[in-house]
Amino acid sequence: MSDKIEYEQRRLTSNIKAGGCAAKLGSAELSKLLARIPSKTTPELIAGIGNFEDAAVYKISEDLAIVETIDFFPPVIDDPYLFGQIAAANALSDIYAMGGKPVLALNIVCFPTCDFEEEVLVEILRGGADQVEKAGAVIAGGHSIQLEQPVYGLAVTGLVNPKEVFTNGGAQPFDKLVLTKPIGSGVALLGMKAGMLSEGARNELIRNLTTLNSGALQAGRQYEIHALTDVTGFGLIGHLHEMAKASALKSRLNLSSVCILPEVVELAQQGLVPAGAYGNRESFNAMVKYLNKVELEWEDLLFDPQTSGGLLFSLNPDHAEQLVEDLKDLSLQASIIGEMLPLEPNESIGAVEVTAN
Amino acid sequence: MNREIDLRGLVCPEPVIRTKRLLDDKDTQKIEALVESEVNVKNLARLARSQNVSMSCSNEGDFYRVVLTKGEPSPRTELEELAIKESQKETNKNRVGTVVFLAKDTFGQGDPDFSQSLMNVFLQTLFDSGHRPRAILLANSGVKLMDPEGSVLQVLNGFAEAGCEVLACGLCLEHYALKDKVPADQITNMFNICEFLMTADRVLTP
Repeated sequence: MSDKIEYEQRRLTSNIKAGGCAAKLGSAELSKLLARIPSKTTPELIAGIGNFEDAAVYKISEDLAIVETIDFFPPVIDDPYLFGQIAAANALSDIYAMGGKPVLALNIVCFPTCDFEEEVLVEILRGGADQVEKAGAVIAGGHSIQLEQPVYGLAVTGLVNPKEVFTNGGAQPFDKLVLTKPIGSGVALLGMKAGMLSEGARNELIRNLTTLNSGALQAGRQYEIHALTDVTGFGLIGHLHEMAKASALKSRLNLSSVCILPEVVELAQQGLVPAGAYGNRESFNAMVKYLNKVELEWEDLLFDPQTSGGLLFSLNPDHAEQLVEDLKDLSLQASIIGEMLPLEPNESIGAVEVTAN
Repeated sequence: MNREIDLRGLVCPEPVIRTKRLLDDKDTQKIEALVESEVNVKNLARLARSQNVSMSCSNEGDFYRVVLTKGEPSPRTELEELAIKESQKETNKNRVGTVVFLAKDTFGQGDPDFSQSLMNVFLQTLFDSGHRPRAILLANSGVKLMDPEGSVLQVLNGFAEAGCEVLACGLCLEHYALKDKVPADQITNMFNICEFLMTADRVLTP
């Protein structure tokens, strides 16, 4: 870590309205807007924006396709090296969420050189580079501009066998849902910014944010996976909805099995809820059915936009427990959080049922 | 002690932190906080609930005045109101993606008069049963349902008021000489109709 370097200039997160995936545009807003843009497709494009996929997949031959993604955001944390690591882990995750292997990355940088020493940018880039190296890929260049608000991220290219692409669609009735990281990072990051997060909770948050999803994907590959995504800006509910919708099913979420980051319940109770969570609530609440009473702070956590969130597997129910065991062996806080269910008459595609038991 | 604090222009989570700091002060009895956004209000409503403080809020044009008062019971009312408002907004938003596509003014085909009155019954029943599709699209002779002389317009207006988009094909309105009888914001084109049909989860064509 880079604690040794003293940064006298402005704090990296100062004046940032929404950092991380909380900075994302709302889903409802985005769909409406995109509907106005004429979109063309090509047969080689086997995954695109249709089902809100995590990345685009372009088939080159019978057994080779490229996976493309881009992800960047304003600082979520004052430590530049950690910010670089988190942004890179978040960008790489979209490749894993499609079942791909990252091979190439390009840096995207906006940076105000008047406000910060160049050492800060070096640290951000070093954080990103370390993650890319860990992922077994290389950084091949990038693009940087002067801008008042710092932004960092990556455009990543991955490779995948077109027959082994995982998408939001394809989940089957009675599949179990396995999530590989705890939720609540949006609330926790806000709490950290407010200086209300304990040292222990902060370390746990950073450990999760900087963990690559490569290990989780590797573990999942050993089992019969039907659908896969990563939980990011739309919150757990939003991504569950997208997966259920793309698979023409409904999902049931078991609240008591969802792992959360330390201290986030208390923080959400006190109103440390990012704006993106309210946006997600607006976009997805119509799809949610609470089977029992759920406390407001828990609802907020389900809508909380996640930065560098975990993978969400929909898999053969007989394999779920073993997968969770394997994930725990990788020190991941994984659990079976619910299941996919067939639609009853009059139920909407993509509905999310939340039960407290 | 009563306190006033102007939190406008501050970036989240600063408004919550400053308000909490004031609340934590034993001498504070009541806080009047000025905040900029709805998000700030919702955050403060949660803070108020967790601290067992009652809250009221008024919209003052381009900002909100939030009043937090210690030691008063029923701190939940304001939040509950807020929650109700939120949930109302959401029910209005409908179940995602059902589009009703009416390309003729009859319900099925049969005796013309009977088929027309069946259409009236269908729309009225759909409305009464509380279903709110995302949009009702009218094309070809379906646009005749928008005729102010007809008996269905009232039901369609009911849907429109409930947040459902009621849209008629402009070309068709022209053909049936109804274009100047329909509000401009309810007139659409084939491009939009295609978009609705292709992006809907479900299209109903009775």
